[in-house]
Amino acid sequence: MTKKYFGGCDVGSTTGKAAILDENSSIVGTSIVPSEIDPEITSVQALEKACAQVTDLSSYKDLARIVGTGYGRNEVAFANENISEISCHAMGAFYCNRDIKTIVDIGGQDVKTIAIADDGSVLEFAMNDKCAAGTGRFLEAMSRIFRMDLEQFSVLSLNARKIIPITAQCSVFAESEVISLLARKNPPEEIAAGIKAAVSKRCFSLLKRIGMRPLVTVTGGCAKNQGLIKSLAKRINMEVTALPVDPQIIGALGAAVFAGRNGREQE
Amino acid sequence: MNMFRELLKSPQNHLVEQAVSDGRIPIGYSCSFVPEAFLMADRLVPVRLHAPGVAGTEIADIYLSNFICTYVRSLLEFAVDDRFDLIQGWVFVPSCTHMQRLYDNLEYLKKPAFNHILDVPRKVTEATIAWQAEELRTLADKLSTHFGVDMSDDSLMKAITEWNNFAEVIQSIGELRKKPFPPITGTEFQALLMAALVSPKDLILPKILDFRKEIEQRDGVGEFRSRLMVMGSHLHDPEFIRVIESQGGLVVADLFCTGSIPGFKPVEISGNPIRSLAEHSFKKTLCPRMMEDFDRRLETIIDTVKEYRVDGVVIEIIKFCDLWGVDSMPMVSALRNEGIPVLKLEREYSMGGEGQLRTRVQAFIESMDK
Repeated sequence: MTKKYFGGCDVGSTTGKAAILDENSSIVGTSIVPSEIDPEITSVQALEKACAQVTDLSSYKDLARIVGTGYGRNEVAFANENISEISCHAMGAFYCNRDIKTIVDIGGQDVKTIAIADDGSVLEFAMNDKCAAGTGRFLEAMSRIFRMDLEQFSVLSLNARKIIPITAQCSVFAESEVISLLARKNPPEEIAAGIKAAVSKRCFSLLKRIGMRPLVTVTGGCAKNQGLIKSLAKRINMEVTALPVDPQIIGALGAAVFAGRNGREQE
Repeated sequence: MNMFRELLKSPQNHLVEQAVSDGRIPIGYSCSFVPEAFLMADRLVPVRLHAPGVAGTEIADIYLSNFICTYVRSLLEFAVDDRFDLIQGWVFVPSCTHMQRLYDNLEYLKKPAFNHILDVPRKVTEATIAWQAEELRTLADKLSTHFGVDMSDDSLMKAITEWNNFAEVIQSIGELRKKPFPPITGTEFQALLMAALVSPKDLILPKILDFRKEIEQRDGVGEFRSRLMVMGSHLHDPEFIRVIESQGGLVVADLFCTGSIPGFKPVEISGNPIRSLAEHSFKKTLCPRMMEDFDRRLETIIDTVKEYRVDGVVIEIIKFCDLWGVDSMPMVSALRNEGIPVLKLEREYSMGGEGQLRTRVQAFIESMDK
């Protein structure tokens, strides 16, 4: 194998993501796998799945350089270095669209907002990690109440005629509030719209802490939730820019960009 | 270094036990406006109140509102659990309403034989220094009457001399952190400093001197990506600093209630020891409770950043801390205006959420292009 490939692996709480770049910084492989208990196993599975899309690569061990990110980044012993998911999401979004200045990353267990500098580095960030409200876990729990998968739940609120606000701040109390609202025969789509409005409100407060500049994008698994994106755009009174790649792999993509850049610097 | 960490495992370590066995009187205090030297007179022993490894505050939560910080909650929890049973007297400062509620609840729940509020003005003028001296005199008389200790000027002068010798040793170690390759980590310094604050000074000093000899032989403590300063609310657990340093940021300076800047300044003796101690408590404390003092705090931070070659400042605030919480808003902007990168962290008193702390610190260091 003469070509060099660079890997990024984002070990999240719900899923592991990997991205492979070639020497020209083009994306040649990506993957998303469910997280295992051991972050190292998750990272191997994600990288192997992404490497399988590249004919030159027979294993992740063939990668010239690997950068780990995400909550499990410290446990990926074979990675050449680890970089925080904040820097990686910034770099991943910058790779996709250089005009993006603000990111909302809604992950499985936390929400982050990131302000990006003109060179793709992090200017400022804010995190909500003290409770599950507003995270992917929250939306998962809510979709279960509606007996829907995440995809169905994602579009449920799109046809809502009005929003039924959810007043509980805590995920657990919000769950019982939603159950009560459903039991009282309120339209599910209007309750779902209320749930998404509550999440977007939380994102908005985090965005205000870092100073929101267009273009704004959303990364992480929850970026695929159409109802949430619609609600957030309304809340921030700004368009949410869609990314040309799966928004869930942006952290891994940023890690791969760093792997390529740092790998070349060390040659 | 493990020795210092060992001394922090209990709110009353074996050196305090030893002092009690020797007939000495531990006095618990929680605020830097209480001059330590004052509580070193005669048989008194100052013990900074901390609640190591506090696992929950179920009992304290019954008595304190939801908006009281977890430091105060933790101290009350330990008090009702009799974890401070060797403490024979308490001296509080109404530095914030939270601390006043601690005094009130302690009075209500435990009825300590000696429980005192030292009133400290919020401005520094000739009149308030005189007031402060008066307050200290009242406390001295009360201590003398209650415990039969010698709080005379001679006794206080002796205590001040002992404190000054001690403070100079701590300062000399702190100065080593200015070096391009400091021989001591921030974690080690924090453990040493806290151990010094919760132990009788005469009993811990030989151990500190031995440690100073050891680190003077060191060339450095390894490679770090950046040099950080940490400032903010009560920070007692060295684990917090260890997690920061695990991400490559060597903590070279600190400015918090229990920190060394400017907390370990020797007392300048100006004749009357009580008056000297009153002046000293204003000089050695940079607390946001003080009015019209923002510029002095900012200036001290900027000077420290330069002297200690700090790359970035971490401001840590215990949730619901009115003083540091409000102060941090203009402070973050003021420091950034000076071109100093700042990371603001909100935390609970006890160490938790290591993963989140690591992510924030790592991202901060990365954002400084380090």
